[in-house]
Amino acid sequence: MTDFALRVLRRARTSLALFGYFLKPDRFFLVPLVVVVLLAGALLAASAGLSRVAPFVYTLF
Amino acid sequence: MAAVLGISGLYHDAAAALVVDGRVVAAMHEERLDRVKHSAALPERAARACLAMAGIDAKALDAVVFYEEPFAKFERLLGWLVQTFPRAPSYFARSLRQQLAKKLWVLDELSETLGVPRSKVSSREHHLCHAASAFFVSPFEEAAVLTVDGVGEHTTTAIWQGRGATLERRFSLEFPHSLGLFYAAITAYTGFEVLDGELKLMALAAHGTPRYVGELSRVLHLGADGDFALDARYFDAFTDTELGFGAELERLLGPARPANVPWDLARSPDDRRYADIARSAQVLTEEALLGLARRARREVAADALCLAGGVALNCTATARLAAEAGFSRVFVQPAAGDAGGALGAAILRALELGDPRPAPLGSPALGQAIDAGAGADLAERLGLGVSRPPRPFERAAEILARGGLVALATGRGEWGPRALGFRSLLARADDTGVRDAVNRRVKGRESFRPFAPSVLEANADALFHHVGADMTPFMTTVCRPRESALGELSGVVHVDGTSRLHSVSKERAPALAELLAEYERSTGRRALLDTSLNGAGEPIAGSENDAVAFFATHRAVDALLLDDVLVERRPR
Repeated sequence: MTDFALRVLRRARTSLALFGYFLKPDRFFLVPLVVVVLLAGALLAASAGLSRVAPFVYTLF
Repeated sequence: MAAVLGISGLYHDAAAALVVDGRVVAAMHEERLDRVKHSAALPERAARACLAMAGIDAKALDAVVFYEEPFAKFERLLGWLVQTFPRAPSYFARSLRQQLAKKLWVLDELSETLGVPRSKVSSREHHLCHAASAFFVSPFEEAAVLTVDGVGEHTTTAIWQGRGATLERRFSLEFPHSLGLFYAAITAYTGFEVLDGELKLMALAAHGTPRYVGELSRVLHLGADGDFALDARYFDAFTDTELGFGAELERLLGPARPANVPWDLARSPDDRRYADIARSAQVLTEEALLGLARRARREVAADALCLAGGVALNCTATARLAAEAGFSRVFVQPAAGDAGGALGAAILRALELGDPRPAPLGSPALGQAIDAGAGADLAERLGLGVSRPPRPFERAAEILARGGLVALATGRGEWGPRALGFRSLLARADDTGVRDAVNRRVKGRESFRPFAPSVLEANADALFHHVGADMTPFMTTVCRPRESALGELSGVVHVDGTSRLHSVSKERAPALAELLAEYERSTGRRALLDTSLNGAGEPIAGSENDAVAFFATHRAVDALLLDDVLVERRPR
C-alpha cells in the first residue's frame, strides 16, 4: 500500500473514532455538525488537490 | 521499563520531553531549534533531538503522548459554535480550518512523522499533563496541585491531590471562566502580543497603582471559595478574535493601547493609565490565585503546593502564594507553561507502563549540548579571537568586574523560558548604567522591564529574604532583597522592590556557580545580572552556532564563553 493510501486509511480510522466519541448521549446533538464539518473539510481538501473538482465545490457554497 | 516521548505543540511553546525507565532524560523547546519564538509547530526537531540525546531510535519508543485530547478540544469548539451562533463566524472559520488541517489528525501526524506505529501514539488531558509536569518532578511525596491557564480542552483551572505516583482531581472550572484568558485580554488591551506579552504586563504592573480594581471586578468576578467567573461581554475571544478583548472593555477602561508604540511612563499620562490597569489586573489575578490556593489547602490535606499552567509563570503571584496561602513549601517547575505539558504527558504514560515516579528535578539542563569545538571553528572563520585560557572563569570575572558583558553558553540548554546559567548573558548586578546598556544595546526591551540576579545558593539568604526556596533555582518566583544588600543589587531590583532570584548551586548549574565564585573572589560582590542569551524578538540560543552568531552580531558583548573556549573580539 502506498504512503498516501496509508495516510488516507489512518485518517478514515480517526474520523470513525471521532464519530464514536460523539455517539454519547451528552454529545449526540453535535453529530450533524460533525458530519457537515468533516464533509466540508473533505471537499475542500479534494478541491485543493484537484482543479477539476473545484467548480463543483464552489457551487455548493 | 519504557521509553516515552511527550509532545506539546500546534498552539504555542511546542516542546518534546523524553522519559526513559522513569528518568527524565531530555526535554527541549522547538523554538531553540526552529528559531521561531514560542514556536507553534509540531515539534519534530525537538523530538528527534531528545531521541538523539538519549541515543534512542524512534522505533524503540514504547509510547508517544500528545499533551491534549484532540476530540475533546474539537467538541468544545463545536459546542461554542452552537452557543454563540451566529455571532462568531470568523472565529469558527479560523478554528475549524486549524482543526481540519492539523489538530484533529495530530496523533496520525505524530505516528507518520516519527515512524512510530499508530497504536503507540495516544493523548492525555491537558490539565492532567500540567499537573503531572509539576507534581511528579517536585520534591514532595504529597501535595496540592493547582493548574491554571487559558484553556485546555474544557478545563481552565483545576485542583488536584498529588500522592506518590497518583493525581486525583478535586475541583475544576471550565471555559470560558479562565484566569489565563482574563490576563491575555488585558495583555492585548495594553498593546502586547498575546502568548508573548503576559510577562511584560506583569513587569508593567509594578509601575502602576491598582485604581481600576473596581472596574475590572466587573470583568472578573471573584466568588467565595476560590471560584471565579468572567463576564463574556468584555471579551471578543468568544465571538471573534481569539484571546482578544471586546469593545465593551474599551467602554469600561478607555481606549486600548496601540501595539508597537514606545512606552514613556515618565511623561505619558496614558501610559501611566495602562500601568494602573496592568496593576489592577495583576492584583485581581493574585487574589483569584490566592482564593484557589486556599481552597486547595482545604480540599487536600497537604502542606506543599505545586503549580503549573501558563499563569504559574506569574512569579509575582507565586511569591504571594508562598507567603500567604498557608503552605509551607511551593514549587513551580521551570517550564510551567504549555511546553511543560510534554513532560507531564510523558511521565503519565511512563507511570501507566509501570515505571517509577521520576526523581525531583535537579538541573534544568535537559536540552541539547553545545559543541564548543564546532563553535570555536565557526568563531575563527568569522575572524573572532578564540582561545582556551587555563582559567577561563578568571578572565570572564575580570571582564564583568570592569562593567563588560559576558555571554555564557555551556553544556545542555535550559528547560523553560528562563536563562538558568546555560545560555545566559551576564553583567555586574550593582550598576544601573550597565543594566541600561544591556537593555539598550543588546536586548532592546521595554525600559520598564527588570533584569534578574543570579547568586550562589550559599549567599541567597544573606542577600535576600529567601522565601520560596524550591522555586528560586528555576527563577519562578520573586524575593525581596535585604536592606543591607541593596547597593550590591541596584541593577537587578524591580521598581516594586523585588527580584526574580536565581539561586545557583554547583550541582544544578556548575559553570555559572564557578563563575559566581570567581567573581566573588576577585571583587567581593556576590550577584550577577543574568538574562537570556538572545537578541530582541529571538528565541534563546540553542546551539553553539546560535551563541556565536549572537556574539558576532552584538558588539556590546565583550566575550563569549563556550564551555572552556573563550571568544573575544580582535582589536581593530
